[in-house]
Amino acid sequence: MILEIITAEISDSWNNFNMNIKITHNWLLDYLETNANPDEIREYLSLCGPSIESVEKIGNDYIYDIEIISNRIDYASVLGIAQEAVAILPMFGKKAKLKSNPLKDLKFSKIKEGKGYDLKVEIRNPDLVSRFTAIIYDEIVIKDSPDFIKDRLAKAGVKIINNVVDVSNYLMLTFGQPIHMFDYDKIIDHRMIVRESKKGEKLVTLDEKEITLPGGDVVIEDGSGKLIDLCGIMGGLNSAITSKTKRVLLFVQTYNKSKIRKTTMTTGQRTIAATFFEKGLDEERVEATTVTASELIEKYCQGKIVSKIQDIYPEKYQGKVIEINQEKFDRLIGIKIDPKTIITILTNLGFSVDKKAEKYFVAVPSHRKYDITIQEDLVEEVARIYGYHNIPSLLQPPAYVEQPKEMENLFVFQNRIKTFLKHLGLNEVINYSMISKKMIEDWPLNIKDHLRLSNTISEEIEYMRKTLLPSLYKNIKENTGKKETLRLFEIAKIYIPRKNDLPQENYNLGIAVNTDYFELKGIIEAVYKELNVGSINKLPLPKITEKNNVFMAEIDFQQLIDNYKQFPKYQPINPFAVIKLDKTFELGPKMTYEVIRSLAEQSKLMQKIEVVTLYENKLTLRFYYSSTSRNITEEEAKKELEKI
Amino acid sequence: MVNLDDTNKEFHNELKNISNNDELTNLQIKYLGRNGIINDFLKKINDIPTEEKKEYGKKVNELKNSFLRLIEVKRKELSEKKSDKFFDSTLPGKTFPIGSLHIVSFAIEEITKIFEKIGFIRVSYPEVDWEYSAFEALNMPKGHPARDDFETSYIDFPENLKFGKMVLTPHTSNGQNREMKRVGKPPIRMINISKCYRPNWDATHTPMFFQFEGLCVDLDINITNLKGTLDYFAEKYFGKGTKTRLRPHHFQFTEPSFEVDVTCTVCKGTSKVNENKCKVCKSGWLELGGTGMVHPNVLTEGGIDPKKFSGWAFGFGIERVIMMKYGLDDIRNYYSGDIRFLEQF
Repeated sequence: MILEIITAEISDSWNNFNMNIKITHNWLLDYLETNANPDEIREYLSLCGPSIESVEKIGNDYIYDIEIISNRIDYASVLGIAQEAVAILPMFGKKAKLKSNPLKDLKFSKIKEGKGYDLKVEIRNPDLVSRFTAIIYDEIVIKDSPDFIKDRLAKAGVKIINNVVDVSNYLMLTFGQPIHMFDYDKIIDHRMIVRESKKGEKLVTLDEKEITLPGGDVVIEDGSGKLIDLCGIMGGLNSAITSKTKRVLLFVQTYNKSKIRKTTMTTGQRTIAATFFEKGLDEERVEATTVTASELIEKYCQGKIVSKIQDIYPEKYQGKVIEINQEKFDRLIGIKIDPKTIITILTNLGFSVDKKAEKYFVAVPSHRKYDITIQEDLVEEVARIYGYHNIPSLLQPPAYVEQPKEMENLFVFQNRIKTFLKHLGLNEVINYSMISKKMIEDWPLNIKDHLRLSNTISEEIEYMRKTLLPSLYKNIKENTGKKETLRLFEIAKIYIPRKNDLPQENYNLGIAVNTDYFELKGIIEAVYKELNVGSINKLPLPKITEKNNVFMAEIDFQQLIDNYKQFPKYQPINPFAVIKLDKTFELGPKMTYEVIRSLAEQSKLMQKIEVVTLYENKLTLRFYYSSTSRNITEEEAKKELEKI
Repeated sequence: MVNLDDTNKEFHNELKNISNNDELTNLQIKYLGRNGIINDFLKKINDIPTEEKKEYGKKVNELKNSFLRLIEVKRKELSEKKSDKFFDSTLPGKTFPIGSLHIVSFAIEEITKIFEKIGFIRVSYPEVDWEYSAFEALNMPKGHPARDDFETSYIDFPENLKFGKMVLTPHTSNGQNREMKRVGKPPIRMINISKCYRPNWDATHTPMFFQFEGLCVDLDINITNLKGTLDYFAEKYFGKGTKTRLRPHHFQFTEPSFEVDVTCTVCKGTSKVNENKCKVCKSGWLELGGTGMVHPNVLTEGGIDPKKFSGWAFGFGIERVIMMKYGLDDIRNYYSGDIRFLEQF
């Protein structure tokens, strides 16, 4: 059997990548009797059950493209969709009922068993396979499938191969139960041992890929000890059906879902069969599938049954009952849905309901045993079929919850500084939190001080960064040629590993420019001024790093918040005269601006200093002298200046 | 008196000949300046006989006001008059730096404000967290497919005996349990916006992305409240008239679970653009993300009695809402640092 490989993903967090199946309208009508047209079916089912993403008319049939959510593998089939339709369509005033119920009508008693051949089965661990069913057919003729099967499979997007393979695929889409067929004569000793694989065991699957097993996978070995099936995923090439096949073993099983999931993910063999089995299938559907399979094999492959039906089903589903009060429905849905409607909805979905006073006793059918386990599951069933669109929309009453000040500050200040830097002309960038080993070592930093992703998908994003600068440096380098002047900033977390604990996650502000040192220094000074972080406890300026003409600096954002002042210290307006004096200095290692400034500030009359010009190493400064108690004379100011 | 009339005549003569602003300013200084002619007249008031002083003062003031008026009129004339030098007013103005914010920052700010108005507080929780907060506390026990290596990024770090392995949070939902424990007891009105990570990097996925998570827990929170909040958000963020709908879905940490759609921002839910089929949406709707009523196991794990309290939660992708609102569909540009992308916002 050829199993198409599809990109089916699981549903996990809020992200969803679900599988889709395609079936046709006429196929659905094999099981469903309704007066709803395809567009109505699409609209109503999408609102209350499976999302039908599109309906496409081709010839005299329509193709439904249906999204299957991960906990509803039970409706990933024609029969499953028919079952949903029976519950949903009547709520929209449409007639809908099952033409026949295969689960009740198609029993093994319908199959006339044969004799002459058998299969010796040993299941080493009953936990691996919950139901094992097999029948042997002789005189199989491999040829083309009948037109209706070819037509429907083609519309479902399944490749047409030959009658045996097509029948398998056709049944999978009809009942949601993948089946497999072996060449009976290739099974040595006609013996099967179902067991867990050992680590490193090998098997070539039908697609001619050699799979090395991780161990603990469900496999079958034959009498010679060789593996012939990677159960639930793909059959072995060594037991495959070919044009020469005469005798076929029909194989309908249900497996331990977590085992299948693990194997399909670790081996990368993402087959359709695996996406079914990994979600857990209904053992009760095996019988109807087998009976129908048998019918089709006899009819379209000329197969004759030459064995008894082998059916190993040790733990039959006993059914379970969930108790729920009317109040639970009302409270969670927010409106009262009347008991009669509740009972109708649940019954149409295949549940049996017994109501005593305010209490419902709801028996869960076999095909829903995995996804219906608690009261809330029943609320969901009732609410969705009743229709979410019929439930009103109403904001909850307000409630006051205090936001912790440190959280509020983080966001308020980030937004403020981002906006401020934008207005200074900088461009904000957001980089990945993970960087490469090379970026760390080139910086240079010690790789050992960084958290490493154990399952990274790329070397580029292997380590959690402890500084924003290598990323910003990379941004500048990668933008070379795209824009002449680059001024970038990023506010993001850095991750500092701690012993036996989660890393410390600190927000940093990183700035990088390709212009010059003083521009970057000016930007930092502007940020400090904006937040008045220099006014009380002077926050030291961060180190400015230069690398290939890129100037960079990084600031611990929390420090900015901690030192923030809304205004600098208030100074009364000074009514007395200010004397401005200019003086030029020759700069040198012992005569820096910083030296001049600290000397000048020794004067009590010094108010502020401005840089007027800098030409080569000649610096002209303007000094502002003033007293807060009287008018000073120019002479006084000059005397102060001369002290420098 | 004669003096005043002469001065007036003289002023008019001079004014007539003035052709530019500098000349006009000089004229103004000559007549109205501190040492100007008018002030001279005022200084001379002491030489005027007492009975004429009042009349004299009045005249001088009238003259002064008349000069002022005439100068203003002239100034206006001059400014309207095309100067001899060609002045191109169509040239661009002086350039001021503009800079840009990342498109994600805009969205975060906008979303925060929308929820702030209905009492939701933005919180901050770890991006590197234990499996416990990311999975166990969210009803995703060991062995759940979402915890596979293929779905979640793990950190190479000794396993914590109580909380399991260290992971990069694959969703903002780790904030649910942390917020429940922080407040201790409902009400909860949380909006958690954070970076998330998944080992997935292709045309439509980046290994890092942003989500925003809403969580509301209180007495009697029900589906109508979730619908109310989603409608409110959709109208505020996507614009008036935007509608939402819920479709059945499945998430481990909510029950019931829904997927939310909003009416297509391009065709406004009509699925038609100029008589053609809308290329952006599926029959008028766009998928927004996942939501649901908080699973009782999640409440219990957060120390909240599910028999007494109930809640709703949602988690949407920031990049997704940006894509829906502005049509910026190449997600790989978001975190590539390309200046040609960045400077557009």
